Amino acid sequence: MLAWLFGEMLYRWATIPRITSYGLVGFAFAHNQTGLLTLTDRSTVTLLATYAFALILFELGYRVNLKWLKLNRWVGVTAIAESALTFIAVYTVASLFGIDTVSSLLLASICISTSPAAVLRVANDLNSRGVVTERILHLTAINCMIALIIFKIIVGYWILASDGNLYKAAWHSLISVTASSCLGFVFGIVVTALLNIFKSNDRNTTIAFATTLFALISITDAISISPLFSALAFGLTARHRRIFLTQAQRNFGALGDLLTIFLFTYVAASLDGAQIAAGLVVALAIIAARLIAKCFAITALARVSGTTFRKGLLTGVAMMPLSVFAILLLEQTRHLELSQLNHVATISAIVLLLEIIAPLATQMALKKSGESNQEGRQ
Amino acid sequence: MALEEFKCSTSLTLGVELELQLVNLTDYDLTPSANDLLKLLERKTFPGDVKPEMTESMIEVSTDVHAEFNTLREQLHKIQATLLDAGDRLNVGICGGGTHPFQQWSEQRIYPKSRFHDLSTLYGYLAKQFTVFGQHVHIGCSNANEALYLLHALNRYIPHFIALSASSPFYQGVDTLFDSARLNSVFAFPLSGRAPFVLDWAEFEDYFSKMEGTGVVKSMKDFYWDIRPKPEFGTIELRVCDTPLTVERAASLAAYLQAICRFLLDQPTALTEDQHLVYNHNRFQACRFGLDGVMVLPSTMQHISIREDILSTLRAISPHARALNSLHALDEIENIASSTGNHATYLRNQYKTQGSSQALVDASIMQFRGRGNV
Repeated sequence: MLAWLFGEMLYRWATIPRITSYGLVGFAFAHNQTGLLTLTDRSTVTLLATYAFALILFELGYRVNLKWLKLNRWVGVTAIAESALTFIAVYTVASLFGIDTVSSLLLASICISTSPAAVLRVANDLNSRGVVTERILHLTAINCMIALIIFKIIVGYWILASDGNLYKAAWHSLISVTASSCLGFVFGIVVTALLNIFKSNDRNTTIAFATTLFALISITDAISISPLFSALAFGLTARHRRIFLTQAQRNFGALGDLLTIFLFTYVAASLDGAQIAAGLVVALAIIAARLIAKCFAITALARVSGTTFRKGLLTGVAMMPLSVFAILLLEQTRHLELSQLNHVATISAIVLLLEIIAPLATQMALKKSGESNQEGRQ
Repeated sequence: MALEEFKCSTSLTLGVELELQLVNLTDYDLTPSANDLLKLLERKTFPGDVKPEMTESMIEVSTDVHAEFNTLREQLHKIQATLLDAGDRLNVGICGGGTHPFQQWSEQRIYPKSRFHDLSTLYGYLAKQFTVFGQHVHIGCSNANEALYLLHALNRYIPHFIALSASSPFYQGVDTLFDSARLNSVFAFPLSGRAPFVLDWAEFEDYFSKMEGTGVVKSMKDFYWDIRPKPEFGTIELRVCDTPLTVERAASLAAYLQAICRFLLDQPTALTEDQHLVYNHNRFQACRFGLDGVMVLPSTMQHISIREDILSTLRAISPHARALNSLHALDEIENIASSTGNHATYLRNQYKTQGSSQALVDASIMQFRGRGNV
């Protein structure tokens, strides 16, 4: 509740994105800081956070136009280029700071992604529409998929190298991703078929999706496969099966708003202030490398993909957010006891810094591109 | 500044301007992408002219001057292909239709050009409400008095063009029960309606000076009349048509106008102010009921359905269409009047079968692409 309150106050007073405020409150009250917020039942809390994120990924999938990616292949090329450049840049910087190989690889793969939660929230709050907004969403969807796949491959390789269990390795990597996508796709086909038969109105459509997503998350959690890919696939399928959702249903309405407060607060609450201080310098270096890599790749390919260099640069800046995705990815590997990920300090620092400044960067970029319109529909 | 001299051009040449909708392909609402589209189109030669309009989700294209329907049609298809190509690269949908079925006018953004900014300051919310999409057809005139004669002689046919082109039954999510709700936005402007009944260019210049003297008018552009003379082109400009869903229909409407003009020049009619007593009534009937509207023929005061009047006009002008090589276009007009109905009817049927406004916009996008029969 405090998070919500601070969110509204800071937004109205200084146009700070609400999600930044949620993060600040979560961090301030976290177990490791003031201790006012205790994470009692970790698994339930994680499930709820995953569900919140799944709603966001569903919407992201829904806003991706696969036909556009086919008609303008340069968008896909841009996504791959910025992912590759980010991976190389972050791995290089992490290694230079003495972080071990596997940790550097995992860190680099996480850093490929842009947090869909933040960009979607900021874009929706600003009622943002246009070329930059479309690019951000499509590049985010693709780089999240790439990040997840590469992360899974590295984890799989690490499992293979450390305990030789091929089945476990494969499961934790590509099979899990494929199974997750197929599940999302199947759910998408079934639910949209039902919706087409019943010709539901807007609100009922949203409820159908929200409840199905919960079922999907529960299933993927039970069989230990990635819930994230399934939510994305579900959203993609819903869009391409021509189920229409209006702007009123953005963010899944009140349900989404509530869960977003929870999600961002939860993410920041899992951070430890002491650790962050230790990892600050490395974190800043990695953030800078990531920003430069993304901006460079996207700007370089901007004109050939149909827009201007200026809008390319703004897209790169807008893609700064990372945090939520990183935390959830790590959460999923926690049960594997990945002792290699002991550079918690670095990751925590990155997460907190980006949770505060990245949404501001996205907001600024969208405003500068002229695509935000807050006068309109409330 | 006095009115420009009327530049005499070749009689009965034609040109078309179309205002088109730019649409988001996820939620099918209007998207403010005019600037991005224009920047992309600038990179190559555009087969015609393209420019921004009042709000950022509108774009206006225009053809060159043509003597014949077939070459006009060909250019319109080239323009269509170029626009679709650019739209595809930007993930922006493009379509016709006189209004967007569910856009909220308050969300529209004025295009950053000084003329539009001045208009927005002057007209307040009317400027944003002017997010409506029309087709303008120019007909060349060999002299100024010919232009004024055609302008007033065509007034009797205005209901035809409104009814045939009507494609704006929905506005802000509601079925307005009008076939063309778009024109209600146009009529809100103080300088809209019918040009004053003047048949001599010198008298018209006098009228213009007087209006200029009042400080209300600076150029011809400030008049939002249904038909207005365009001295710098040497044309008259018919402005009542909604943008149809297809470029084919746009070309056919232009050809219909051209043939009527040829008929009017060949068989001149005597014009009196009294003939305009029924102008507003006829115009309302066309906007509200489309082809089923009942108009009053000014010369005989006979009441006749617009549909019937179109069909009898087609018979009268067919020799002229033959001379102009546009019989094919007139076949389409006949089709609309006798069987298929206008695009407003199509849009209403689509809404009934599909059940959502977004599906409507999607259907319009498909029509503009040429994938569908309407």
